[in-house]
Amino acid sequence: MAADLELLDEVAAGREPILRLYRWSPPALSLGRFQPDDDVDRETCARLGVEVVRRPTGGRALLHGGDLTYAIAFTRPPGRAGTVGALYDRVAGALIAGLARLGVTAAVARNEGPGGAVCFATQQGADLRVGDRKLCGSAQVQREDSVLQHGSVLLRRLPFDETDLLRGNDETSRRQLRGATVTLEELGAPTGARAVADALLDGFRLRFDAVGARVEVS
Amino acid sequence: MNFPEDLRYSAEHEWVRVDSGRARVGITDFAQDALGDVVYVQLPDVGANVAAMASCAEVESTKSVSDIYAPVSGAIAEVNESLADAPEQLNQDPYGSGWIFSVDMTDPGELDQLMDAAAYRQLVEED
Repeated sequence: MAADLELLDEVAAGREPILRLYRWSPPALSLGRFQPDDDVDRETCARLGVEVVRRPTGGRALLHGGDLTYAIAFTRPPGRAGTVGALYDRVAGALIAGLARLGVTAAVARNEGPGGAVCFATQQGADLRVGDRKLCGSAQVQREDSVLQHGSVLLRRLPFDETDLLRGNDETSRRQLRGATVTLEELGAPTGARAVADALLDGFRLRFDAVGARVEVS
Repeated sequence: MNFPEDLRYSAEHEWVRVDSGRARVGITDFAQDALGDVVYVQLPDVGANVAAMASCAEVESTKSVSDIYAPVSGAIAEVNESLADAPEQLNQDPYGSGWIFSVDMTDPGELDQLMDAAAYRQLVEED
């Protein structure tokens, strides 16, 4: 996550757009920029070997480990092309094109689902769904003229999920989360990180000229 | 889209209302619309010195975290504490109850760098 934030500095220095694609090891729970610390059950995180980190972007808690994370940074275009919605649309187009190469038909989600502490339990206008289940969650931060957007594509599930790591969750929460989400594995799509990264990179190249890519998966 | 005539505007979509040397600041109707539903506002500290064009607060919407810039330099005089419980005021009443902070200005001449309503409307509508 700190490396994602450094992308903003690189963009400000003129090296852009930049795309990172990476995995997490060990698993980590990332909290949104202003999400309360109290949401986290730190004892369970420690017991399961899950590191807790904070994103520079907003949103709610997200468990990393079974996902492929993308992070793209670029200079914000002027005018309406630089608004949050316009930028989400552009990145969504890149992701949708990349996922299509894996045989997955994703669409932009609309605002729906309960609020609460878990990112993947809700859908909103930047997220991608297959059918009515969320495959990819994203969040954005704008600093001066630079934009960082990052997100996670779910490759496969871990033996535990966010409901194990946050306070106030139970089996009902877990069922809701499972019902609201889908992984590439469950869709029968390729789940090899390299294959998924290459497909997403192709999608980004369609929407971003001269994107400098750092694919940090083997 | 609303552009009150009595305000000054920054290129970063903040508005300023001046009263006796104190500048009250918020984000414009265009900005709140572009951000989406605001869920959290990180306010500056009362008494903090701010420099014109520098970031002094942050807003989280359901879509993004964005900086709020001080349109003028000075010291933070007041902050809108009601945003802690009701951040949606930025969306619902951006020029009224959605105000964010006020600045005791050190250089009122900086107001001349800001746009009037007509110029800001042109900036926003030209794309």
